[in-house]
Amino acid sequence: MAGALIVLLFLLPVLYVVMLAFESPAHFLRSPLIPPIASPRPGNFRSAWAQAGLGVELANTALYSILAAGLATVLALLIAFPVGRRLMRGAGLIYSSVAVGLFLPLAIIPLFVEARYLDLWNNRIGYIVLHVEPGIPLGVVLLTAAIASVPKELDEAAFMDGAGYLRYLWSVMVPLVRPGLLITFLYGLLGVWNDIIGPVVLLANPNLFPITRGIYQFYGANERERTLLAAAIVVASLPLVVLFAATQRQLIQATAVGAVKA
Amino acid sequence: MWVGLTVGLGVYVLFGVAPAIGNLAVSFTDYSGLAGSTTHFTGFVNYTAMATTERPGFVGALGATVVFVVGVTLLQNAVGLILAHRLVGNTRGAALMRLLVFLPVVLGVTIVGLIWILIFNPQAGPAAGFLGLFGASSAFFGSSGAAMPLVILVQSWQNVGFSALVFIGGLRAINPEVYEAAAIDGIRPWRRLTSITFPLLAPSVTVNVLLAVVGSFTTYNLIYVLTDGQNGTNTLGMLAFTSAFGSSADLGYGAAVSVALFVLTLAVALPLLALLRRRERRLLV
Repeated sequence: MAGALIVLLFLLPVLYVVMLAFESPAHFLRSPLIPPIASPRPGNFRSAWAQAGLGVELANTALYSILAAGLATVLALLIAFPVGRRLMRGAGLIYSSVAVGLFLPLAIIPLFVEARYLDLWNNRIGYIVLHVEPGIPLGVVLLTAAIASVPKELDEAAFMDGAGYLRYLWSVMVPLVRPGLLITFLYGLLGVWNDIIGPVVLLANPNLFPITRGIYQFYGANERERTLLAAAIVVASLPLVVLFAATQRQLIQATAVGAVKA
Repeated sequence: MWVGLTVGLGVYVLFGVAPAIGNLAVSFTDYSGLAGSTTHFTGFVNYTAMATTERPGFVGALGATVVFVVGVTLLQNAVGLILAHRLVGNTRGAALMRLLVFLPVVLGVTIVGLIWILIFNPQAGPAAGFLGLFGASSAFFGSSGAAMPLVILVQSWQNVGFSALVFIGGLRAINPEVYEAAAIDGIRPWRRLTSITFPLLAPSVTVNVLLAVVGSFTTYNLIYVLTDGQNGTNTLGMLAFTSAFGSSADLGYGAAVSVALFVLTLAVALPLLALLRRRERRLLV
């Protein structure tokens, strides 16, 4: 009974949009709530793809989120290792000032001002650079904890062998803290992928728009084309659903265990 | 080592710390971001404007923010707790349903917002069809009475999976021996819930309540998608955004509203944290 209610509440809205994506406009006007079993219209997807420019937007989104989240993960590791190993004085202070970043509000207004002055506004490189920082605090918190649980003797043995700093990080530390790196990357990726305020404020050229602003724009410009909007939503959701299906075990595990610890 | 550390911290300071402090700097100016306009230092003008009729909307936004924060915090945590209680188990069904309730977190505000815009489409959406069965109708997000409750509903729907997972983590951390001892003592299910499960869940309650309060004070991206701040949903975060990037292009005033919102968030969150921590200590001894 309770299970049925949960399915109703969380699955039905999604199924409704999928159903709508297969309806023809005439079917939608006549009987919008009845599944179009007799006359499904897969052509909606092709029309939505072309009219909303989903191809370019998805490519932009993938480029922005993979690069920004990747850079955030690398930088978080470069901060977390010396901090976790306490290789310098003030390591604790550095840790807490970065961890505070989890609670800093994303100040979009000054960020816009900075972007204008630093020439990071309305261009791809700028958009990526501006999206690296939000992923860093969580990464430092996760990776410092992960690194602290790796025995120090490993460092000493490796450095005795004459391994360089980066080489050591890459070949010894990275494989050992892989789960932490994955979660840092995933949460960073989702943050960039799903951002809607950033694209509205930091981009003006439609060729640079990511998928979020793209489908929102499409909705605003085609108020009456509900079936095409539904098809666009389904297409935009698919990469996220696939990503979620592939990483759900780690994502769910880390969220359930991690939040209270942190 | 130093190069890596410096680059990492540099990015954090330049694009994380500097903007957070920068709000304060921008709030004392009349910066517009428009080409060809000059920027002046204007002192506290943006702050005094909040209280006057010269810039209407601040008091209304304050009220909308309070309603939004209280509504989301209560709904998201109550439903999150019920979901966690149902989905904590190790069965296949429970595992699948955990994925289902977490899906909206992954899909993000734009997709979730548009899904609910389609459902609450006043002309031909399923919600309109349902109301039609009773001869009723509503403009939903276009109605001043319904917009705020619906925005609270969608915001909670989007994030409740996260709350539920945190509660599940808390439930699993409870030592099963406590329940075994209770079973031997013949404690009934309701008493077990009120005097064992709920008290021992106190750390998760702290995390979830605090995240919901801080989150709902500061986020406005879903409101932007659903209503663009119309029909009584203009919270302070939304007001700051529209002041800065709407037609008025008044970044100084927007920044001042952001600063006020930040102070308000701290003024609520810090005492709340102290209160919840004290509650943990009281319940966990």
